[in-house]
Amino acid sequence: MTSHSETPALSLRGVVKSFGALPVIQGLDLDVAKGHRHAVIGPNGAGKSTLFNLVSGMFPVTEGQILLNGAPITGLPPHRINRAGLSRSFQITNIFHRLSVFENIRMGVLARHGRRFDLFSAIARRRAINDETAQILDTVGLTRRGDHLAGDLTYSEQRALEIAMTLSTGADVILLDEPTAGMSREETAQAVELIRKVTEGKTLLMVEHDMSVVFQLCDQVSVLVYGDILATDTPEAISRNAEVQKAYLGEEAA
Amino acid sequence: MTSSKLIFCALALGVLTVLPPFLDAGWQNALNTLLIASLYALAFNLLAGQTGLLSFGHAAYFGVGSFAALHLMLATEDGLAFPTPLLPLAGALAGLLTGLVAGWFATMRSGVYFALVTLAIAELFHSFAPHLKELFGGESGISGMRMPWAGFTFGTTLEVYYLTLGWVLTCGALLWAYTRTPFGRLTLAIRDNEQRVRFMGYDAHVTKTVIFAVSAMVTGVAGALQAVSNETANYAVFGAHVSSQVVLFTYVGGATLFFGPVFGAVAFSLFAFLVSDLTRSWLFYQGLIFVLVMLYAPTGIGGAVTQWLRQPRQRSYAQLAGPAVLVALGGAGIACAVVFLTEAVSVLFGLDYANLKRGAETLPDFALMGLNWGPLSPLTWGLPLVLMVGGILALRRGVRRLTDAEPTFNSNAAKEGLTV
Amino acid sequence: MEFLIISTLNGVIYGLLLFMVSAGLTLIFGMMGVLNFAHASFYMLGAYLAYALSPVIGFWGGLLLAPVLVGLIGMWVERVLLRRVHAHGHAHELLLTFGIALIVVEAVKLVFGDFPVAYQVPTELRFAAFTVFGTDYPFYRMFIGGTAVAMFVVLWLLLTRTRVGIVVRAAERLPQMAEALGHNIPIVFMSVFGVGAALAGLAGAVAGAFYPTNPNMAAELGVIVFVVVVVGGLGSLKGSLLASLLIGLFSSFAVGLDWSLAGLLDLVGLGDWAREIGGLLTTQVSSISGTIPFALMLLVLLVRPAGLMGDRS
Repeated sequence: MTSHSETPALSLRGVVKSFGALPVIQGLDLDVAKGHRHAVIGPNGAGKSTLFNLVSGMFPVTEGQILLNGAPITGLPPHRINRAGLSRSFQITNIFHRLSVFENIRMGVLARHGRRFDLFSAIARRRAINDETAQILDTVGLTRRGDHLAGDLTYSEQRALEIAMTLSTGADVILLDEPTAGMSREETAQAVELIRKVTEGKTLLMVEHDMSVVFQLCDQVSVLVYGDILATDTPEAISRNAEVQKAYLGEEAA
Repeated sequence: MTSSKLIFCALALGVLTVLPPFLDAGWQNALNTLLIASLYALAFNLLAGQTGLLSFGHAAYFGVGSFAALHLMLATEDGLAFPTPLLPLAGALAGLLTGLVAGWFATMRSGVYFALVTLAIAELFHSFAPHLKELFGGESGISGMRMPWAGFTFGTTLEVYYLTLGWVLTCGALLWAYTRTPFGRLTLAIRDNEQRVRFMGYDAHVTKTVIFAVSAMVTGVAGALQAVSNETANYAVFGAHVSSQVVLFTYVGGATLFFGPVFGAVAFSLFAFLVSDLTRSWLFYQGLIFVLVMLYAPTGIGGAVTQWLRQPRQRSYAQLAGPAVLVALGGAGIACAVVFLTEAVSVLFGLDYANLKRGAETLPDFALMGLNWGPLSPLTWGLPLVLMVGGILALRRGVRRLTDAEPTFNSNAAKEGLTV
Repeated sequence: MEFLIISTLNGVIYGLLLFMVSAGLTLIFGMMGVLNFAHASFYMLGAYLAYALSPVIGFWGGLLLAPVLVGLIGMWVERVLLRRVHAHGHAHELLLTFGIALIVVEAVKLVFGDFPVAYQVPTELRFAAFTVFGTDYPFYRMFIGGTAVAMFVVLWLLLTRTRVGIVVRAAERLPQMAEALGHNIPIVFMSVFGVGAALAGLAGAVAGAFYPTNPNMAAELGVIVFVVVVVGGLGSLKGSLLASLLIGLFSSFAVGLDWSLAGLLDLVGLGDWAREIGGLLTTQVSSISGTIPFALMLLVLLVRPAGLMGDRS
């Protein structure tokens, strides 16, 4: 639901996903406006992870279309979708454990610069790439850990790295999958600030369970229940929505 | 590379360049074999250790390289003006092309399935080759001759050695440089987390195919070098033995280090050269060493030594000398016991002893290492038992004392090139 | 016609022999995720141990005791060796079994010599089972086949009708769940490994008397067994049986066939042209009968890695 006529950054039209005979996503429509921060919330089992997996190309859709900045990305493999400008993080930290933190981020920067088959230059000499990596490192606050092995980081440091890696490919549309999962209140607050800073000027689609995070960060919230969007509105409106309350809490609370 | 490593490399280089003219042909040949084995292992490890793809059929690319070089050699015999020192280029090209095709298919699978695909490809070559007489010379293979070029006859072992040395050093340096390129870092990332690499915009399948092709290319060079020095090859070069040897070298030396496979190749090649004349059981020892390393030093001997060297020293080298001697003695004791038992079994079950038994009433003595031993005497079996038990005790004590340093936080590890 | 019947009989029996060896391999892979490179070595050990024991306790004694010994060795390998490297991952376990295979072959050469040994069918079993078109069909071949069938029946009953069998099957699907339910999974793993080894050992003890017993037998059979378990589907017993029979029949028929691509092209009148070109077009099926199983394995791995009857996951 866009408020102006500009093409939405991300658009899902009639998306259906079934695993065998089991329909997980059923005829879903969703628009994420450019520059917005958009959260997807919903009870467990609603299909939020599946949604992310469909958009980022991990699974193919059974039916329907997905558009990125107006161009169809349905059925494309993950690397093509990433190159088209969409990047995702993972709920379970998905880093390169045996490489340094710096290298983890640099992997994305290299991709952004098109250096995917560069067998011929010394990576240490690539000033632009190394500078850019250092900058991202600094943005997420991991500069002093740059030389450490990614596997040696603390949990929240790894989550920060996860976000850094998602950003490193220079995508405009960022998908964050439960970025504050498992964090303490302090860590969550820091994460919220970080996310706010790094998604400035970009489009963010986020799966979250923590409503306070949603309230602090997001312009729009969609509620996903049983594979379909129940409602999309501002966080305040959603929190007052009777149907949403019923879906979360059952008949008694409504 | 750190300065100590550079010094070590320079020294090794010096020895390899300067020493051979003073050695006899047998030793020159052994060094030649050793160099080729090292290159083969380095090429293999690009795929196995750096990418995490265990290939059980690398003989295919080694063999393809051998035959390509031989065909080019035959062409030069017929008059083609191709410089002899550049013959291995044929191996590189053949390896590259075969690797691209094989790699495209093999990297569609991972893990055990990948290993089985590579195995099947090698077996296809091995069983098909004897029937393709033009390409592979049927059962007897192809033979060629090195043609003289630019004043060199290439008739002596020494000249062949320097040819091999040049190529091995060049390819080795290129493989080292590879690890310093963006693609080289991508290779390591694929090993750690292929899925994430995809989601960061890389086509993992194409990437793995290219890595496979590079590995096959350098393997082809190694095969070509062997063909150039032996001046012949037949379908046996596609056999399981060739595929399995490189696996042994690499994992005994250590797959997580750049030079680990070289260490394994050198150790095993020297071992084969020195021991194969002394006993028929040397392959048994080789297998035993491999299994022991897999069990007790999973990162290989090179890996274990490097990990130990990296830990901060609490005590001086003088204080460590004692436990080091214990380790050496313990190891020696175990080795002696194993060798004694193995050789004794070999003799006792051998044909010669069977003949001895026939004429005697009681079990006759058998000869081993210049002494006579009674097969029922407690001394005969007590000696290796004591050596074995004592050796194990000494080794365990020594190792425990040597590794009695604080575990280090591996922050230095990341600075070292190849992720170790 | 004679060729058809004899080849079919031989093929089925060879296939059943392959099944005896591959059954254990596929079970072990299905359950533990380890492709046991040393499995064919158990086959070889069975033959050699039976050979060594038969002068002492007779042919039947050797036949019964050798598999038991091999089974015990298998249990020891799993308990002491494999378990130690389990934490390092499947690749490491694979490498270890690879090393064990090397050691077993060399140890056999050490003790028994690098040449075939005279392990033979005892005279009382050297008679014809029946006569087919004037040719005697040896009883012992039927004996091999019969042993394999009996083994399959026992295994099947054990897995489907006993409590032990149910636990084993549960452990194959979800080992951690089965362990959480109180079953001693380490013992299950060790037993399955041991039984798998014992089966291969039994195959060796029975077949070794008929076929040549030499240090190369593990390598020769080993690769074909890999083809069988891949084509049948890694982890599937039924698939293993099907693929074994398929490959057995194929090998049996192929050696007698003079077909070639040129022969095929005869049908469209291009036969002579093909024969002039030679090379691949005139290669007969009989000469490349050894190659075709690998081509089949490659095809299966690339097109349908689950094999004929394996789990799609």
